Amino acid sequence: MEKIKTLADLKRKQEAVKSQVNLRDRASRAENLVQIKVAMATCGIASGAKEVMEYFVEELEKRNIEAVVTQTGCMGYCYAEPTVEVKLQDAEPIVFGYVDTKKANEIIERYIKTGELVDGIIPKNYETIN
Amino acid sequence: MVDLAMHMMDIAQNSIRAEAKNIEISFIENNTENTLIFAVKDDGTGMSPETVAKLSDPFFTSRTTRKVGLGVPFLKMTCEQTDGKLEIKSEPGIGTEIRASYNTNHPDCIPLGDLAGYMILLLIGNPGINFKFLYQLDDEKFELSTAELAENGIDDLSSAEMSSAVKEFMNENLKELFGKREKESFLC
Repeated sequence: MEKIKTLADLKRKQEAVKSQVNLRDRASRAENLVQIKVAMATCGIASGAKEVMEYFVEELEKRNIEAVVTQTGCMGYCYAEPTVEVKLQDAEPIVFGYVDTKKANEIIERYIKTGELVDGIIPKNYETIN
Repeated sequence: MVDLAMHMMDIAQNSIRAEAKNIEISFIENNTENTLIFAVKDDGTGMSPETVAKLSDPFFTSRTTRKVGLGVPFLKMTCEQTDGKLEIKSEPGIGTEIRASYNTNHPDCIPLGDLAGYMILLLIGNPGINFKFLYQLDDEKFELSTAELAENGIDDLSSAEMSSAVKEFMNENLKELFGKREKESFLC
């Protein structure tokens, strides 16, 4: 494949991609999609949240799951970073801790696809000891 | 933080939390004098001089979820370990500018890391914010901004194909820029 070096190359690429999927359509239906928030504060970054976020962005598209992947700050679970909040349609958001790419795969295959809960959920009523 | 790209993501997150709409990230490298200035400028809520004074204290944070705040102290540490310094200018209602200077010939200088990878994640994760990225090496520079991408019809990076194209665009241009260094540097 040709290398992308100039803005013109990028523009051409965008046009090619746009003809395949209607991107605008997708953004307007955000409410109905799977929403994933990766915690990206100092603690998250230091524990490898970048790899996890990249994995979700790539894999969800590969596996044809319509999702929005965004960033959030620290949720206070620094001990369990990287943490990821997953909100399925019509369900309460769930926070998973110690997420690496292996765990992310499990979350996609089991929780996102079938709704089955997997290990590593941080209970909502958990509070840090001050 | 093992590289500057991580600091970039971390400090930019502070701007995002301060409700900034425009965030300018710049790396200005002077290869002859062996210096690098990493700066993040935003138009967020800004801070009072009292708050700015407390920033480098690791036990200060505006969050309520935890009692430590290490982002700025880590940045101060990595620049000071190369005999550089950290400067913060902030005004409530106007915004904040944070500048960290590094001596790139110092063995404790941390590498640049995956600037493109982190930049793409910032763009994907924060669609409502205008980002400007600049890497300047002496007189040569590479710029990328949300506005410039939008002008070329690139306004949605959520597709993996498009985000990797932008990443490749950044990497190719940065690689070319770094090839122009006359002196070796600890940055990459």
